[in-house]
Amino acid sequence: MNCNEALVLISAAVDGELSITEEQHFLQHLSKCGECYSEFEEAQKTKMIIREIIVRFNAPQTLINSVMQLTSLSQKETS
Amino acid sequence: MDNPDPAHQRKYLQTHESLSPAEHQKQIEFQNEAVVHLNALYNYALHITMNPDDAADLVQETYLKAYRFFNSFERGTNCKAWLFKILKNNYINLFRKNSKEPGKVDYDLIKDFYHSIKDTRSDTTETDSDYFHSMLHEEVYQALLSLPEEFREVIQLCDIEGFTYEEIANMVDSPIGTVRSRLFRGRKILRAQLEGYARTYGFTTDTDQ
Repeated sequence: MNCNEALVLISAAVDGELSITEEQHFLQHLSKCGECYSEFEEAQKTKMIIREIIVRFNAPQTLINSVMQLTSLSQKETS
Repeated sequence: MDNPDPAHQRKYLQTHESLSPAEHQKQIEFQNEAVVHLNALYNYALHITMNPDDAADLVQETYLKAYRFFNSFERGTNCKAWLFKILKNNYINLFRKNSKEPGKVDYDLIKDFYHSIKDTRSDTTETDSDYFHSMLHEEVYQALLSLPEEFREVIQLCDIEGFTYEEIANMVDSPIGTVRSRLFRGRKILRAQLEGYARTYGFTTDTDQ
């Protein structure tokens, strides 16, 4: 595997979505190529930055209530 | 506060008494399997509609449908993925049909959305809000929001919600290979932008120095 082939796989490698064969060849290349190895580390960091940066909200109480009610209401409708 | 309205109580009891054991079982199962994902669904809806009211409508509609078709949910598979798929379809039916063209980015909407969520978050702890109010956060977050929808969507589903490629492929009605290449391309665009900001603000992700 050369650098170009390895670079294409980095994104899927970060997600643990390489096939077994791909992973073998990919890891083999990383063990020999420092540049691709640091690219891989960068990609992992980017994934972490995205995870941290997205703001998580709590659903508003009114929505929670209506979803809870929904299940029993639609029950009445269908019965 | 007030005494509970007896008529209301009676009605409530009647509704519940009239449930067959099977229906009651379905309700409990639905609470445990589906309703637990309400927050995740709401956050996803918020990020695709960029409007809290639309997001709430979308989630409510999703649960209504999910409950109606809960029998067709394949037990033992990922219920969260099943709900996201329903939400996605609802979104296309309710909002996308007659509004903006797919893939088109509305920068004003993104700016408004960012500032409205920033305001609602002003009650967080100091460290949090310091970070949140920093320029870096604003620009990186906006960079993510500004990605063309087909890229942002898969990044969100993968990085934030932790779905597998197979689950995402099913949600966006595309082959796994397409999901894989969208993630690859989307991240490439995003990283180029992150590097731009890193340079501007003297923030670097390099470790080897």
